Amino acid sequence: MKVYDGTTAESEPATQPERVKVGIAESKVADGDALLTTSGLGSCLGVAVYDRSAAVAGLVHVMLPSIDEMEGDNDAKFADSGIRALVADMERRGADRERMEAKIAGGSDMLDFSENGSGIGVRNVETGRRTLAEFDIPIVGEDVGGDHGRSLRLETTSGDLIVKSANRDPITL
Amino acid sequence: MKVDVQSLGTFNRLAHEGAEQATQSLCQMTGLDAVVDVTKITLVDRADVGDQLGDGEYVGVQFAFDGELAGDTVLVFDRAGSETIVESLVPGGSDDEAMARSSVEEIGNIMMSGFIDGWADFLETTIEHSPPEYVAGDGSAMLPDPPADAERSQVFVFKSEIEWVGESVSFYIYMFPEYDPLADVMARTADTEDDAIPIDKLEVFNEMTKDGTQQAAANVEMMTGIETDAEVTRLSFAPIEDVPKQVGTDTYVGTVVEFTGVPSGFLLVLFDEASAVHIAEAMMPVEMDADELTDQHKAAIEELGNIMTSGFVDGWANVLQTSVEHTPPRLVHDMGRAVVDPLAAQVGQHQEHAFIIDSEMRTDDIAFGAEIHALPNETELRQALDELLVERADETEADVETIF
Repeated sequence: MKVYDGTTAESEPATQPERVKVGIAESKVADGDALLTTSGLGSCLGVAVYDRSAAVAGLVHVMLPSIDEMEGDNDAKFADSGIRALVADMERRGADRERMEAKIAGGSDMLDFSENGSGIGVRNVETGRRTLAEFDIPIVGEDVGGDHGRSLRLETTSGDLIVKSANRDPITL
Repeated sequence: MKVDVQSLGTFNRLAHEGAEQATQSLCQMTGLDAVVDVTKITLVDRADVGDQLGDGEYVGVQFAFDGELAGDTVLVFDRAGSETIVESLVPGGSDDEAMARSSVEEIGNIMMSGFIDGWADFLETTIEHSPPEYVAGDGSAMLPDPPADAERSQVFVFKSEIEWVGESVSFYIYMFPEYDPLADVMARTADTEDDAIPIDKLEVFNEMTKDGTQQAAANVEMMTGIETDAEVTRLSFAPIEDVPKQVGTDTYVGTVVEFTGVPSGFLLVLFDEASAVHIAEAMMPVEMDADELTDQHKAAIEELGNIMTSGFVDGWANVLQTSVEHTPPRLVHDMGRAVVDPLAAQVGQHQEHAFIIDSEMRTDDIAFGAEIHALPNETELRQALDELLVERADETEADVETIF
Protein backbone atom coordinates (compact mmCIF):
# COMPACT_ATOMS: atom_id res chain seq x y z
CA MET A 1 0.00 0.00 0.00
CA LYS A 2 1.31 3.42 -0.90
CA VAL A 3 1.80 5.93 1.84
CA TYR A 4 1.24 9.57 1.17
CA ASP A 5 1.88 12.36 3.58
CA GLY A 6 -0.69 15.12 3.69
CA THR A 7 1.07 17.48 1.29
CA THR A 8 1.61 14.92 -1.43
CA ALA A 9 -2.01 13.87 -1.29
CA GLU A 10 -3.18 17.44 -1.75
CA SER A 11 -0.90 18.09 -4.68
CA GLU A 12 -2.18 14.96 -6.40
CA PRO A 13 -5.93 15.34 -6.27
CA ALA A 14 -6.38 12.87 -9.11
CA THR A 15 -5.12 9.97 -7.01
CA GLN A 16 -7.96 7.60 -6.25
CA PRO A 17 -8.01 6.48 -2.64
CA GLU A 18 -7.80 2.74 -2.24
CA ARG A 19 -11.13 1.10 -1.43
CA VAL A 20 -11.04 -1.56 1.22
CA LYS A 21 -14.11 -3.61 1.93
CA VAL A 22 -14.68 -4.80 5.47
CA GLY A 23 -17.02 -7.77 5.74
CA ILE A 24 -19.01 -8.96 8.70
CA ALA A 25 -16.71 -10.13 11.48
CA GLU A 26 -13.74 -8.60 9.68
CA SER A 27 -11.26 -5.93 10.64
CA LYS A 28 -9.08 -3.91 8.27
CA VAL A 29 -6.38 -1.32 8.82
CA ALA A 30 -5.12 1.10 6.18
CA ASP A 31 -2.40 3.67 6.08
CA GLY A 32 -2.39 6.57 3.68
CA ASP A 33 -5.37 7.58 1.62
CA ALA A 34 -8.02 4.89 1.71
CA LEU A 35 -11.75 4.36 2.00
CA LEU A 36 -12.76 1.62 4.38
CA THR A 37 -16.34 0.53 3.76
CA THR A 38 -18.74 -1.87 5.38
CA SER A 39 -22.38 -2.50 4.66
CA GLY A 40 -25.51 -3.94 6.18
CA LEU A 41 -25.08 -3.17 9.85
CA GLY A 42 -28.22 -4.09 11.74
CA SER A 43 -27.51 -4.99 15.35
CA CYS A 44 -23.85 -5.29 14.32
CA LEU A 45 -21.57 -2.45 15.37
CA GLY A 46 -19.03 -0.65 13.22
CA VAL A 47 -16.07 0.79 15.14
CA ALA A 48 -13.82 3.23 13.28
CA VAL A 49 -10.53 4.17 14.93
CA TYR A 50 -7.90 6.51 13.51
CA ASP A 51 -4.69 8.24 14.41
CA ARG A 52 -4.59 11.26 12.15
CA SER A 53 -0.96 12.17 12.66
CA ALA A 54 0.24 8.66 11.88
CA ALA A 55 -2.31 8.44 9.02
CA VAL A 56 -3.40 5.02 10.18
CA ALA A 57 -7.06 4.09 10.40
CA GLY A 58 -9.03 0.94 10.99
CA LEU A 59 -12.57 -0.33 10.84
CA VAL A 60 -14.04 -3.42 12.46
CA HIS A 61 -17.55 -4.83 11.88
CA VAL A 62 -18.50 -6.85 14.95
CA MET A 63 -21.51 -9.08 15.34
CA LEU A 64 -21.75 -10.02 19.03
CA PRO A 65 -20.68 -8.35 22.29
CA SER A 66 -18.11 -10.56 23.94
CA ILE A 67 -15.80 -13.39 23.00
CA ASP A 68 -16.06 -14.61 26.60
CA GLU A 69 -19.69 -15.56 26.08
CA MET A 70 -19.02 -18.24 23.54
CA GLU A 71 -16.44 -20.24 21.70
CA GLY A 72 -14.86 -18.63 18.73
CA ASP A 73 -11.48 -18.02 17.25
CA ASN A 74 -12.32 -14.96 15.18
CA ASP A 75 -11.56 -11.87 17.25
CA ALA A 76 -13.27 -9.57 14.77
CA LYS A 77 -16.62 -11.21 15.38
CA PHE A 78 -16.92 -9.75 18.89
CA ALA A 79 -16.93 -6.15 20.13
CA ASP A 80 -14.41 -6.61 22.93
CA SER A 81 -11.85 -8.82 21.20
CA GLY A 82 -12.43 -7.03 17.87
CA ILE A 83 -11.53 -3.60 19.25
CA ARG A 84 -8.52 -4.95 21.16
CA ALA A 85 -7.19 -6.65 18.04
CA LEU A 86 -7.84 -3.55 15.94
CA VAL A 87 -5.91 -1.29 18.32
CA ALA A 88 -3.01 -3.75 18.42
CA ASP A 89 -3.00 -4.03 14.64
CA MET A 90 -2.98 -0.24 14.25
CA GLU A 91 -0.10 0.10 16.69
CA ARG A 92 1.88 -2.40 14.67
CA ARG A 93 1.31 -0.10 11.69
CA GLY A 94 2.68 2.92 13.52
CA ALA A 95 -0.35 4.37 15.26
CA ASP A 96 -0.29 5.38 18.92
CA ARG A 97 -3.27 4.70 21.18
CA GLU A 98 -2.69 8.04 22.92
CA ARG A 99 -3.62 9.80 19.70
CA MET A 100 -6.43 7.51 18.60
CA GLU A 101 -10.00 8.70 18.27
CA ALA A 102 -13.03 6.51 17.64
CA LYS A 103 -16.42 6.81 15.99
CA ILE A 104 -19.07 4.16 16.31
CA ALA A 105 -22.22 3.41 14.33
CA GLY A 106 -24.77 0.60 14.20
CA GLY A 107 -26.07 -1.43 17.11
CA SER A 108 -29.66 -0.98 16.00
CA ASP A 109 -32.31 -2.80 17.99
CA MET A 110 -34.34 -3.62 14.90
CA LEU A 111 -35.86 -7.11 14.84
CA ASP A 112 -34.85 -7.83 18.36
CA PHE A 113 -37.10 -10.67 19.46
CA SER A 114 -35.55 -11.13 22.88
CA GLU A 115 -38.21 -10.70 25.52
CA ASN A 116 -36.07 -9.97 28.52
CA GLY A 117 -32.80 -8.19 29.01
CA SER A 118 -31.19 -5.91 26.50
CA GLY A 119 -30.91 -6.83 22.86
CA ILE A 120 -27.72 -7.61 21.03
CA GLY A 121 -27.49 -4.16 19.43
CA VAL A 122 -27.55 -2.41 22.81
CA ARG A 123 -25.03 -4.84 24.28
CA ASN A 124 -22.74 -4.43 21.27
CA VAL A 125 -22.72 -0.67 21.82
CA GLU A 126 -22.14 -1.01 25.58
CA THR A 127 -19.31 -3.45 25.14
CA GLY A 128 -17.81 -1.27 22.41
CA ARG A 129 -17.81 1.77 24.68
CA ARG A 130 -16.34 -0.17 27.58
CA THR A 131 -13.56 -1.64 25.49
CA LEU A 132 -12.61 1.71 23.94
CA ALA A 133 -12.53 3.14 27.48
CA GLU A 134 -10.00 0.45 28.46
CA PHE A 135 -7.60 2.13 26.05
CA ASP A 136 -8.74 5.67 26.91
CA ILE A 137 -9.75 6.15 23.30
CA PRO A 138 -12.40 8.91 23.14
CA ILE A 139 -15.56 8.40 21.10
CA VAL A 140 -15.81 11.63 19.13
CA GLY A 141 -18.83 10.73 17.02
CA GLU A 142 -21.61 8.17 17.13
CA ASP A 143 -24.83 7.13 15.44
CA VAL A 144 -26.15 4.10 17.28
CA GLY A 145 -29.42 2.40 18.15
CA GLY A 146 -32.70 3.12 16.43
CA ASP A 147 -34.51 0.62 14.28
CA HIS A 148 -32.80 0.88 10.92
CA GLY A 149 -29.78 -0.53 9.13
CA ARG A 150 -26.61 1.36 8.24
CA SER A 151 -23.67 1.25 5.87
CA LEU A 152 -20.39 3.00 6.63
CA ARG A 153 -17.53 4.66 4.80
CA LEU A 154 -14.43 5.76 6.69
CA GLU A 155 -12.17 8.27 4.98
CA THR A 156 -8.80 7.57 6.49
CA THR A 157 -7.20 10.95 5.82
CA SER A 158 -9.91 13.01 7.49
CA GLY A 159 -11.33 10.47 9.91
CA ASP A 160 -14.79 11.31 8.54
CA LEU A 161 -17.26 8.46 8.98
CA ILE A 162 -20.18 8.67 6.56
CA VAL A 163 -23.25 6.77 7.71
CA LYS A 164 -25.84 5.79 5.11
CA SER A 165 -29.28 4.37 5.77
CA ALA A 166 -32.02 3.14 3.48
CA ASN A 167 -34.59 5.72 4.48
CA ARG A 168 -32.54 8.64 5.67
CA ASP A 169 -30.02 11.09 4.20
CA PRO A 170 -26.37 10.23 4.84
CA ILE A 171 -24.75 11.84 7.84
CA THR A 172 -21.09 12.54 8.46
CA LEU A 173 -19.60 11.88 11.86
CA MET B 1 -24.37 -41.21 4.36
CA LYS B 2 -24.44 -38.98 7.36
CA VAL B 3 -23.02 -35.51 7.59
CA ASP B 4 -22.07 -33.94 10.82
CA VAL B 5 -21.99 -30.26 11.43
CA GLN B 6 -18.30 -30.39 12.22
CA SER B 7 -17.33 -31.82 8.86
CA LEU B 8 -19.69 -29.50 7.00
CA GLY B 9 -17.91 -26.65 8.78
CA THR B 10 -14.52 -28.05 7.83
CA PHE B 11 -15.53 -28.50 4.21
CA ASN B 12 -16.96 -25.03 4.07
CA ARG B 13 -13.74 -23.51 5.36
CA LEU B 14 -11.75 -25.60 2.95
CA ALA B 15 -13.77 -24.51 -0.04
CA HIS B 16 -13.45 -20.94 1.15
CA GLU B 17 -9.69 -21.16 1.54
CA GLY B 18 -9.38 -22.81 -1.86
CA ALA B 19 -11.37 -19.97 -3.39
CA GLU B 20 -9.16 -17.44 -1.63
CA GLN B 21 -6.04 -19.08 -2.97
CA ALA B 22 -7.50 -19.10 -6.46
CA THR B 23 -8.47 -15.44 -6.13
CA GLN B 24 -4.99 -14.52 -4.98
CA SER B 25 -3.51 -16.12 -8.08
CA LEU B 26 -5.92 -14.09 -10.16
CA CYS B 27 -5.02 -10.85 -8.41
CA GLN B 28 -1.30 -11.49 -8.76
CA MET B 29 -1.56 -12.18 -12.46
CA THR B 30 -3.88 -9.36 -13.38
CA GLY B 31 -3.20 -6.67 -10.81
CA LEU B 32 -6.95 -6.58 -10.22
CA ASP B 33 -8.36 -6.63 -6.76
CA ALA B 34 -10.95 -9.23 -5.77
CA VAL B 35 -12.16 -10.79 -2.55
CA VAL B 36 -14.06 -13.97 -1.79
CA ASP B 37 -17.41 -12.80 -0.59
CA VAL B 38 -19.14 -15.95 0.51
CA THR B 39 -18.73 -19.71 0.34
CA LYS B 40 -21.51 -22.12 1.02
CA ILE B 41 -22.42 -25.74 0.71
CA THR B 42 -25.84 -26.26 -0.75
CA LEU B 43 -28.11 -29.22 -1.18
CA VAL B 44 -30.37 -28.53 -4.12
CA ASP B 45 -32.47 -30.28 -6.75
CA ARG B 46 -30.40 -31.35 -9.71
CA ALA B 47 -32.63 -29.33 -12.01
CA ASP B 48 -32.17 -26.13 -10.02
CA VAL B 49 -28.38 -26.11 -9.90
CA GLY B 50 -27.13 -22.79 -11.18
CA ASP B 51 -30.50 -21.05 -11.20
CA GLN B 52 -28.80 -18.09 -9.52
CA LEU B 53 -26.88 -17.44 -12.69
CA GLY B 54 -30.11 -16.23 -14.30
CA ASP B 55 -30.09 -15.72 -18.06
CA GLY B 56 -26.77 -13.91 -18.35
CA GLU B 57 -23.99 -14.79 -20.75
CA TYR B 58 -21.00 -16.48 -19.14
CA VAL B 59 -17.59 -17.82 -20.01
CA GLY B 60 -15.24 -19.88 -17.96
CA VAL B 61 -13.04 -22.85 -17.47
CA GLN B 62 -14.03 -26.32 -16.42
CA PHE B 63 -12.08 -29.26 -15.03
CA ALA B 64 -12.87 -32.79 -14.10
CA PHE B 65 -11.04 -34.01 -11.02
CA ASP B 66 -10.46 -37.48 -9.75
CA GLY B 67 -8.90 -39.12 -6.72
CA GLU B 68 -10.11 -39.18 -3.17
CA LEU B 69 -12.67 -36.64 -4.28
CA ALA B 70 -14.09 -36.75 -7.78
CA GLY B 71 -16.34 -34.56 -9.82
CA ASP B 72 -16.31 -31.36 -11.81
CA THR B 73 -15.39 -27.83 -10.94
CA VAL B 74 -15.96 -24.72 -12.97
CA LEU B 75 -14.92 -21.11 -12.81
CA VAL B 76 -17.62 -18.80 -14.11
CA PHE B 77 -17.20 -15.20 -15.26
CA ASP B 78 -19.88 -13.03 -16.70
CA ARG B 79 -18.98 -11.34 -20.00
CA ALA B 80 -18.04 -8.02 -18.43
CA GLY B 81 -15.90 -9.73 -15.82
CA SER B 82 -14.03 -11.80 -18.40
CA GLU B 83 -13.36 -8.68 -20.49
CA THR B 84 -11.89 -6.95 -17.45
CA ILE B 85 -9.54 -9.88 -16.97
CA VAL B 86 -8.51 -10.12 -20.58
CA GLU B 87 -7.83 -6.37 -20.73
CA SER B 88 -5.62 -6.60 -17.67
CA LEU B 89 -3.53 -9.37 -19.25
CA VAL B 90 -3.56 -8.16 -22.84
CA PRO B 91 -4.70 -4.56 -23.24
CA GLY B 92 -7.04 -4.39 -26.23
CA GLY B 93 -7.27 -8.18 -26.24
CA SER B 94 -10.96 -8.51 -25.53
CA ASP B 95 -11.83 -7.58 -29.13
CA ASP B 96 -9.92 -10.59 -30.38
CA GLU B 97 -12.05 -13.65 -29.70
CA ALA B 98 -9.16 -16.15 -29.79
CA MET B 99 -6.99 -13.96 -27.59
CA ALA B 100 -9.83 -13.44 -25.12
CA ARG B 101 -10.42 -17.14 -24.98
CA SER B 102 -6.82 -18.09 -24.36
CA SER B 103 -6.52 -15.45 -21.64
CA VAL B 104 -9.55 -16.85 -19.83
CA GLU B 105 -8.13 -20.35 -20.22
CA GLU B 106 -4.78 -19.32 -18.86
CA ILE B 107 -6.12 -17.50 -15.84
CA GLY B 108 -8.65 -20.25 -15.21
CA ASN B 109 -5.97 -22.89 -15.30
CA ILE B 110 -3.87 -21.15 -12.68
CA MET B 111 -6.78 -20.30 -10.45
CA MET B 112 -8.33 -23.70 -10.47
CA SER B 113 -5.11 -25.64 -9.98
CA GLY B 114 -4.72 -23.70 -6.75
CA PHE B 115 -8.26 -24.55 -5.80
CA ILE B 116 -7.84 -28.28 -6.35
CA ASP B 117 -4.41 -28.36 -4.70
CA GLY B 118 -5.91 -26.83 -1.57
CA TRP B 119 -8.29 -29.75 -1.29
CA ALA B 120 -5.57 -32.29 -1.96
CA ASP B 121 -3.34 -30.74 0.73
CA PHE B 122 -6.07 -30.96 3.29
CA LEU B 123 -6.90 -34.54 2.46
CA GLU B 124 -3.20 -35.39 2.30
CA THR B 125 -3.61 -37.03 -1.02
CA THR B 126 -3.27 -36.17 -4.66
CA ILE B 127 -6.21 -35.16 -6.76
CA GLU B 128 -5.70 -35.40 -10.49
CA HIS B 129 -7.42 -33.00 -12.76
CA SER B 130 -8.09 -32.94 -16.46
CA PRO B 131 -6.74 -30.19 -18.73
CA PRO B 132 -8.83 -27.03 -18.53
CA GLU B 133 -11.70 -26.82 -20.95
CA TYR B 134 -13.04 -23.47 -22.10
CA VAL B 135 -16.79 -23.24 -21.71
CA ALA B 136 -19.33 -20.59 -22.67
CA GLY B 137 -23.07 -20.47 -22.31
CA ASP B 138 -26.15 -18.74 -21.01
CA GLY B 139 -27.16 -19.04 -17.38
CA SER B 140 -27.11 -22.52 -15.91
CA ALA B 141 -26.35 -24.05 -19.32
CA MET B 142 -22.86 -22.86 -18.51
CA LEU B 143 -22.47 -25.48 -15.80
CA PRO B 144 -21.65 -29.14 -16.28
CA ASP B 145 -24.37 -31.64 -15.48
CA PRO B 146 -24.04 -32.68 -11.87
CA PRO B 147 -22.67 -36.21 -11.42
CA ALA B 148 -25.18 -38.80 -12.54
CA ASP B 149 -26.81 -40.68 -9.73
CA ALA B 150 -30.00 -42.55 -10.36
CA GLU B 151 -30.80 -42.77 -6.67
CA ARG B 152 -30.73 -39.10 -5.86
CA SER B 153 -32.56 -36.09 -7.13
CA GLN B 154 -30.61 -33.66 -4.96
CA VAL B 155 -26.95 -32.83 -5.25
CA PHE B 156 -24.33 -31.10 -3.14
CA VAL B 157 -22.92 -27.94 -4.63
CA PHE B 158 -19.97 -26.03 -3.21
CA LYS B 159 -20.11 -22.47 -4.39
CA SER B 160 -17.93 -19.43 -3.77
CA GLU B 161 -18.85 -15.98 -4.89
CA ILE B 162 -15.97 -13.62 -5.53
CA GLU B 163 -16.41 -9.90 -5.90
CA TRP B 164 -14.28 -7.36 -7.73
CA VAL B 165 -13.37 -4.63 -5.30
CA GLY B 166 -15.18 -1.42 -6.12
CA GLU B 167 -17.37 -3.01 -8.79
CA SER B 168 -20.71 -4.69 -8.54
CA VAL B 169 -19.74 -7.69 -10.66
CA SER B 170 -18.93 -11.07 -9.25
CA PHE B 171 -17.64 -14.38 -10.47
CA TYR B 172 -18.11 -17.85 -9.12
CA ILE B 173 -16.36 -21.10 -8.43
CA TYR B 174 -18.68 -24.10 -8.47
CA MET B 175 -17.68 -27.57 -7.41
CA PHE B 176 -19.86 -30.62 -7.94
CA PRO B 177 -18.45 -33.55 -6.00
CA GLU B 178 -19.59 -37.05 -6.75
CA TYR B 179 -21.66 -38.45 -3.95
CA ASP B 180 -19.83 -41.61 -2.88
CA PRO B 181 -16.29 -40.23 -2.63
CA LEU B 182 -17.66 -37.18 -0.83
CA ALA B 183 -19.54 -39.40 1.59
CA ASP B 184 -16.38 -41.38 2.32
CA VAL B 185 -14.29 -38.31 2.94
CA MET B 186 -16.95 -36.68 5.09
CA ALA B 187 -17.31 -39.80 7.17
CA ARG B 188 -13.58 -39.79 7.69
CA THR B 189 -13.38 -36.15 8.78
CA ALA B 190 -16.35 -36.44 11.12
CA ASP B 191 -15.37 -36.20 14.77
CA THR B 192 -18.29 -38.02 16.18
CA GLU B 193 -21.39 -39.80 15.08
CA ASP B 194 -23.46 -38.07 17.73
CA ASP B 195 -24.41 -34.98 15.88
CA ALA B 196 -24.51 -36.48 12.42
CA ILE B 197 -27.54 -36.03 10.23
CA PRO B 198 -28.45 -38.67 7.67
CA ILE B 199 -28.46 -37.07 4.24
CA ASP B 200 -31.80 -38.51 3.27
CA LYS B 201 -33.36 -36.57 6.11
CA LEU B 202 -31.83 -33.35 4.85
CA GLU B 203 -33.29 -34.22 1.47
CA VAL B 204 -36.68 -34.75 2.99
CA PHE B 205 -36.38 -31.46 4.79
CA ASN B 206 -35.65 -29.83 1.46
CA GLU B 207 -38.70 -31.51 -0.02
CA MET B 208 -40.95 -30.29 2.70
CA THR B 209 -39.57 -26.80 2.39
CA LYS B 210 -40.39 -26.96 -1.27
CA ASP B 211 -43.94 -27.91 -0.45
CA GLY B 212 -44.08 -25.08 2.04
CA THR B 213 -42.90 -22.71 -0.67
CA GLN B 214 -45.52 -23.96 -3.08
CA GLN B 215 -48.10 -23.43 -0.41
CA ALA B 216 -46.85 -19.89 0.12
CA ALA B 217 -46.95 -19.33 -3.64
CA ALA B 218 -50.52 -20.64 -3.78
CA ASN B 219 -51.46 -18.17 -1.09
CA VAL B 220 -49.88 -15.36 -3.09
CA GLU B 221 -51.92 -16.36 -6.10
CA MET B 222 -55.09 -16.54 -4.09
CA MET B 223 -54.65 -13.04 -2.74
CA THR B 224 -53.24 -11.31 -5.77
CA GLY B 225 -54.14 -13.37 -8.81
CA ILE B 226 -50.44 -13.47 -9.62
CA GLU B 227 -49.32 -16.93 -10.51
CA THR B 228 -45.68 -17.68 -9.83
CA ASP B 229 -43.93 -19.87 -12.37
CA ALA B 230 -40.76 -20.96 -10.74
CA GLU B 231 -40.03 -21.91 -7.20
CA VAL B 232 -36.58 -22.95 -6.13
CA THR B 233 -35.60 -24.27 -2.74
CA ARG B 234 -32.15 -24.74 -1.31
CA LEU B 235 -30.73 -25.86 1.98
CA SER B 236 -27.37 -24.26 2.59
CA PHE B 237 -24.76 -24.38 5.25
CA ALA B 238 -22.46 -21.46 6.03
CA PRO B 239 -20.60 -19.78 8.89
CA ILE B 240 -22.94 -17.55 10.87
CA GLU B 241 -21.16 -14.37 9.74
CA ASP B 242 -21.91 -15.25 6.11
CA VAL B 243 -25.62 -15.61 6.73
CA PRO B 244 -26.52 -11.93 6.08
CA LYS B 245 -24.75 -12.19 2.72
CA GLN B 246 -27.47 -14.54 1.52
CA VAL B 247 -29.45 -11.42 0.84
CA GLY B 248 -28.47 -8.54 -1.41
CA THR B 249 -27.40 -5.08 -0.32
CA ASP B 250 -30.43 -3.43 -1.96
CA THR B 251 -33.43 -2.26 -0.05
CA TYR B 252 -36.08 -4.89 0.59
CA VAL B 253 -39.60 -4.86 1.94
CA GLY B 254 -41.10 -7.76 3.80
CA THR B 255 -41.90 -9.41 7.07
CA VAL B 256 -39.98 -11.24 9.76
CA VAL B 257 -41.33 -13.64 12.37
CA GLU B 258 -39.77 -15.67 15.09
CA PHE B 259 -41.09 -19.22 15.16
CA THR B 260 -41.05 -21.44 18.19
CA GLY B 261 -41.22 -25.17 18.64
CA VAL B 262 -38.69 -27.66 17.39
CA PRO B 263 -36.95 -26.18 15.53
CA SER B 264 -37.23 -22.56 16.58
CA GLY B 265 -35.77 -19.77 14.53
CA PHE B 266 -36.62 -16.91 12.21
CA LEU B 267 -38.47 -16.69 8.95
CA LEU B 268 -38.23 -13.80 6.52
CA VAL B 269 -40.37 -13.04 3.52
CA LEU B 270 -38.65 -10.42 1.37
CA PHE B 271 -39.57 -8.56 -1.80
CA ASP B 272 -37.38 -6.16 -3.70
CA GLU B 273 -38.98 -2.71 -3.70
CA ALA B 274 -40.32 -2.88 -7.25
CA SER B 275 -41.88 -6.28 -6.62
CA ALA B 276 -43.37 -5.03 -3.37
CA VAL B 277 -45.13 -2.17 -5.14
CA HIS B 278 -46.40 -4.49 -7.88
CA ILE B 279 -47.71 -7.15 -5.62
CA ALA B 280 -49.22 -4.75 -3.13
CA GLU B 281 -51.13 -3.02 -5.92
CA ALA B 282 -52.40 -6.35 -7.15
CA MET B 283 -54.02 -6.75 -3.73
CA MET B 284 -55.62 -3.33 -3.66
CA PRO B 285 -59.16 -2.70 -4.80
CA VAL B 286 -58.28 0.61 -6.47
CA GLU B 287 -55.51 1.55 -8.84
CA MET B 288 -52.73 3.33 -7.04
CA ASP B 289 -50.28 3.82 -9.86
CA ALA B 290 -47.66 4.95 -7.42
CA ASP B 291 -43.99 4.30 -8.00
CA GLU B 292 -43.17 4.73 -4.38
CA LEU B 293 -43.96 2.50 -1.51
CA THR B 294 -46.77 4.03 0.56
CA ASP B 295 -48.18 2.98 3.92
CA GLN B 296 -50.99 1.23 2.09
CA HIS B 297 -48.46 -0.82 0.15
CA LYS B 298 -46.72 -1.71 3.37
CA ALA B 299 -49.96 -2.80 5.02
CA ALA B 300 -50.66 -5.06 2.05
CA ILE B 301 -47.14 -6.53 2.23
CA GLU B 302 -47.57 -7.18 5.92
CA GLU B 303 -50.77 -9.09 5.24
CA LEU B 304 -49.21 -11.02 2.42
CA GLY B 305 -46.10 -11.81 4.46
CA ASN B 306 -48.30 -13.17 7.20
CA ILE B 307 -50.15 -15.47 4.84
CA MET B 308 -47.01 -16.67 3.09
CA THR B 309 -45.43 -17.39 6.47
CA SER B 310 -48.44 -19.42 7.55
CA GLY B 311 -48.42 -21.44 4.37
CA PHE B 312 -44.73 -22.13 4.67
CA VAL B 313 -44.73 -23.03 8.34
CA ASP B 314 -47.78 -25.28 7.93
CA GLY B 315 -45.86 -27.31 5.37
CA TRP B 316 -43.20 -27.98 7.99
CA ALA B 317 -45.57 -28.66 10.84
CA ASN B 318 -47.41 -31.25 8.78
CA VAL B 319 -44.28 -33.24 8.16
CA LEU B 320 -42.86 -32.84 11.64
CA GLN B 321 -46.27 -33.58 13.13
CA THR B 322 -45.74 -30.82 15.61
CA SER B 323 -47.14 -27.39 15.90
CA VAL B 324 -44.87 -24.56 14.87
CA GLU B 325 -46.05 -21.28 16.35
CA HIS B 326 -44.91 -17.92 15.15
CA THR B 327 -45.04 -14.32 16.34
CA PRO B 328 -47.07 -11.71 14.46
CA PRO B 329 -45.07 -10.47 11.46
CA ARG B 330 -42.89 -7.43 11.83
CA LEU B 331 -42.75 -5.27 8.77
CA VAL B 332 -39.27 -4.41 7.52
CA HIS B 333 -38.19 -1.93 4.89
CA ASP B 334 -34.43 -1.64 4.94
CA MET B 335 -31.14 -2.79 3.46
CA GLY B 336 -31.42 -6.54 2.92
CA ARG B 337 -28.29 -7.46 4.83
CA ALA B 338 -29.13 -5.19 7.74
CA VAL B 339 -32.44 -7.03 8.07
CA VAL B 340 -30.81 -10.45 8.28
CA ASP B 341 -27.95 -9.30 10.48
CA PRO B 342 -29.80 -9.05 13.80
CA LEU B 343 -31.38 -12.46 13.19
CA ALA B 344 -28.03 -14.07 12.43
CA ALA B 345 -26.60 -12.43 15.56
CA GLN B 346 -29.42 -13.84 17.70
CA VAL B 347 -28.90 -17.33 16.32
CA GLY B 348 -25.13 -16.79 16.47
CA GLN B 349 -25.21 -16.55 20.25
CA HIS B 350 -25.54 -20.33 20.33
CA GLN B 351 -23.84 -21.63 17.20
CA GLU B 352 -20.97 -20.88 14.84
CA HIS B 353 -22.51 -22.26 11.68
CA ALA B 354 -26.04 -22.19 10.40
CA PHE B 355 -28.36 -24.03 8.10
CA ILE B 356 -30.21 -21.59 5.92
CA ILE B 357 -33.30 -22.48 4.00
CA ASP B 358 -33.84 -20.31 0.94
CA SER B 359 -36.78 -20.30 -1.39
CA GLU B 360 -37.41 -18.05 -4.29
CA MET B 361 -40.42 -17.52 -6.42
CA ARG B 362 -40.51 -15.65 -9.71
CA THR B 363 -42.96 -14.94 -12.43
CA ASP B 364 -42.29 -14.13 -16.05
CA ASP B 365 -45.34 -11.94 -16.64
CA ILE B 366 -44.46 -9.00 -14.46
CA ALA B 367 -41.40 -8.03 -12.53
CA PHE B 368 -42.02 -9.97 -9.39
CA GLY B 369 -39.71 -11.83 -7.10
CA ALA B 370 -40.09 -13.00 -3.53
CA GLU B 371 -37.62 -14.72 -1.29
CA ILE B 372 -38.27 -16.75 1.82
CA HIS B 373 -35.39 -17.38 4.17
CA ALA B 374 -35.55 -19.50 7.28
CA LEU B 375 -32.84 -19.56 9.89
CA PRO B 376 -33.49 -22.43 12.29
CA ASN B 377 -31.63 -23.17 15.49
CA GLU B 378 -29.13 -25.78 14.40
CA THR B 379 -29.33 -28.11 17.41
CA GLU B 380 -33.11 -28.08 17.28
CA LEU B 381 -33.15 -28.67 13.55
CA ARG B 382 -31.01 -31.73 14.14
CA GLN B 383 -33.42 -32.89 16.84
CA ALA B 384 -36.40 -32.34 14.55
CA LEU B 385 -34.70 -34.32 11.79
CA ASP B 386 -33.87 -37.06 14.27
CA GLU B 387 -37.52 -37.43 15.05
CA LEU B 388 -38.55 -37.17 11.44
CA LEU B 389 -39.85 -40.30 9.85
CA VAL B 390 -38.72 -40.17 6.28
CA GLU B 391 -41.90 -41.63 4.86
CA ARG B 392 -43.86 -38.69 6.16
CA ALA B 393 -42.54 -36.39 3.48
CA ASP B 394 -45.55 -37.01 1.27
CA GLU B 395 -47.83 -35.50 3.88
CA THR B 396 -46.84 -31.92 3.26
CA GLU B 397 -49.78 -31.22 0.99
CA ALA B 398 -51.25 -28.54 3.21
CA ASP B 399 -54.89 -27.91 2.55
CA VAL B 400 -55.74 -24.25 1.92
CA GLU B 401 -59.10 -24.78 3.59
CA THR B 402 -57.45 -25.71 6.84
CA ILE B 403 -55.31 -22.61 6.88
CA PHE B 404 -58.03 -20.00 6.64
